Amino acid sequence: MQKILSALVIHDIKNALALLEIDLEQLNHHKDVPPEGRRAYRRCIELKNRLISFLTLYKYDQSGLQPLVVEVELAEFVEDLVRNSQSAMMAESHHGHQIVVHADNERMKPDSAAGGFGMFDENLVELALESALNNAVRYAHCRVDVWFEQEADEVVFRVLDDGAGVGVVDELMQRKIAEKSSSTGLGLALCKAVSEAHGCGTVQLESVTGGTLFTMRLRSVA
Amino acid sequence: MANATLQCTTFFGKLIENEYVHFNKLSALVIDDISAMRHAVRSQLQSLGMNKVSVASNAKDALELIKSTAFDVIMCDYNLNSTSSGQHFLEYLRNENILNATSVFVMLTAEAEYSFVANAVEYIPDDYLLKPCSESKLRSRLERLIDRRAFLMPVLKALDARHYDVAVAECNKLLDIAPDDRRRMDVLRRKSDAQLALGDHSSVLETYAHAATVRGDVPWVMMGLARTHYALGEFTQAAEMANELVGKNKSYVAAYELLARIRLEANDDEGAFELLNRSSVILPSAKRFRSVAQAAFLLGKLEEAKSNTEAAIQLSNGSMVEKPDDYLSLAQTQVDMGDHMTAIETLEKSARKHGDVGLFGVAKGAILAQAYFDSGDHGKARKLMERSVSLLANRTDSVAMTALGKAALKTGDVVLGMKLLTQAVQTSGQDERIIARHVKKSMIDTGHADKVEDVIDGGRKRILQLVDDATKLMRTAHFTEANQKVNEALGIHEENLEVLMTAAQLHLLWLKHEGMEARVVQRAKTYLSTLDKLVPNNQKVMNFYRFFNDIVSS
Repeated sequence: MQKILSALVIHDIKNALALLEIDLEQLNHHKDVPPEGRRAYRRCIELKNRLISFLTLYKYDQSGLQPLVVEVELAEFVEDLVRNSQSAMMAESHHGHQIVVHADNERMKPDSAAGGFGMFDENLVELALESALNNAVRYAHCRVDVWFEQEADEVVFRVLDDGAGVGVVDELMQRKIAEKSSSTGLGLALCKAVSEAHGCGTVQLESVTGGTLFTMRLRSVA
Repeated sequence: MANATLQCTTFFGKLIENEYVHFNKLSALVIDDISAMRHAVRSQLQSLGMNKVSVASNAKDALELIKSTAFDVIMCDYNLNSTSSGQHFLEYLRNENILNATSVFVMLTAEAEYSFVANAVEYIPDDYLLKPCSESKLRSRLERLIDRRAFLMPVLKALDARHYDVAVAECNKLLDIAPDDRRRMDVLRRKSDAQLALGDHSSVLETYAHAATVRGDVPWVMMGLARTHYALGEFTQAAEMANELVGKNKSYVAAYELLARIRLEANDDEGAFELLNRSSVILPSAKRFRSVAQAAFLLGKLEEAKSNTEAAIQLSNGSMVEKPDDYLSLAQTQVDMGDHMTAIETLEKSARKHGDVGLFGVAKGAILAQAYFDSGDHGKARKLMERSVSLLANRTDSVAMTALGKAALKTGDVVLGMKLLTQAVQTSGQDERIIARHVKKSMIDTGHADKVEDVIDGGRKRILQLVDDATKLMRTAHFTEANQKVNEALGIHEENLEVLMTAAQLHLLWLKHEGMEARVVQRAKTYLSTLDKLVPNNQKVMNFYRFFNDIVSS
């Protein structure tokens, strides 16, 4: 009974949140929307992302995720991801100044045999990368780069931010990965779940010169 | 530097590409049971520039709208209501051939429903979107889908007009200009659909072979190959491919269903039942429960037949896939289980809303007669039988006649029973196999096993064998040999539709592959006009005519 009740309540909250988000989105189309309107939209998106990450992880723990594998053109996928990312769109108002999120075409390395196509579930991977982006814009100084690399049957997604670097936050990060309760930990756990659902993927967060690099590997399911 | 140029081209390419998508010229339908959600999605679409956005709150209303309007985009919620899902709706639209090829169908799903979605390999929409979806993401996805549609448009239009030969020709044009392998595969898939609709199996094999050189191991190519092998009677190869698919994806329902048909060909009813049962567990639908129930009933597994029919009734109740016949199956199963009281209740109470006139009334009366006969009320049984016989009048419906024939045998009217069952088999057309099996079972159950051969045969068996032989020969381009078989079959029954259809198809393929020989042209014309007289405005015959005219003019 309790289980059914909580499922109903969560379903209800999620629908209400989705509607609220669409209302706020339409409201934010107006030019003279007050800063509170924008802030409310941002908060709504964050809350929704957390809820969906949580629900997806819950599903993963309960019965696993079943990816719907389709052929995806990688460059287009990354460009669309960046263009439509709500985290990227909201990044500027987070900090005092603008954060540019950039689909880095120069770093993109399609595998010539695969013709720039990968086989994976674009909805799940998008969900995962959006939460990685969300983390990146929160720690970035002014720039986040996103790209993919492809070799043989592996597709690698990378998100690089120019923040203080994991060197400083390293311990904190590792602890956050361990505890899913924080939003960083939740996002990383989601990425891990999505990559594992695709076969034998991995997720990594490391300090590099001038920033922090997030890496998600997917082994293409042929 | 080279990279920078590439980047510019991509960016520029994107800009040009998007100019093709004029959202203000597109119409859309939003299907969602939650009113607020329906209107929210509509606002998003309107905000993209669409000004012709219709909404529907359930599948029934949506169906009416889809039948009357060719929408460019259909956005359907996966979770339509407690009994029917967007997936059921899509399956229904595809099965009934209602959905236009030019309509882009997008399914909106929540993350919790996602694993069901992944099982729907056979009936996939053009795209899935996770709810909630932001407007900019919606824009990107729709732009991509509309772009693909624009590229395929001449083919899709021909498919919608059922001009399958035109569709094949348009596919060939597009293959020459396809910018990449993904588009090429899109085209090849449509080409194979069109060739299958034309029954041109030798050409479809070439298309699949072509697709396999572009991308190996793609499920739809393997499934298509398996189906074609099955159609050509090459069951071992068909089973091998279907098993390979199942090995890769344990949820590939279509592969299980093909394997079940192969089992039936091998008279392994038990194996077929197991496979059908598995597919109904993976992707439940009223249609699948019905197949399982029928297989179980024919095997005498009455408990399974009952529970699956009940599941079909429960799942389809109040929806557009509701079938009154489910109550007939349930009641007949209950009668056979010896539970005549429940059978009477099923028909007189649960099925009351479906009335008792027409062919449904005939079968309903026949099953009720059996139930009352078993309960000892022979007078009531006789009255019900008389009513059903007069209700049937001189109509020939094989399902109603099978039910009535069985009731006649059971209530002791052997002459009437034999007559009805013989007619049922003779008029069963494409359902021959399954009707014959029901008739056989009814006769064995009522103690008439010795007369099964007489009833089922009656020249019909020979005709079917000949049609079957002719079809296989024509699919392998042995036209003269196929024609001999067709002529022999026409000698037994000169107005048998199935034989005439086969004859027409044979001659059209003959002309297409071997050129315009006068005698063949003349015979093709004769078959077509005979068919046109027998079944005026038949879609299949109309297609034959079109196909014929195109061959003649080229």
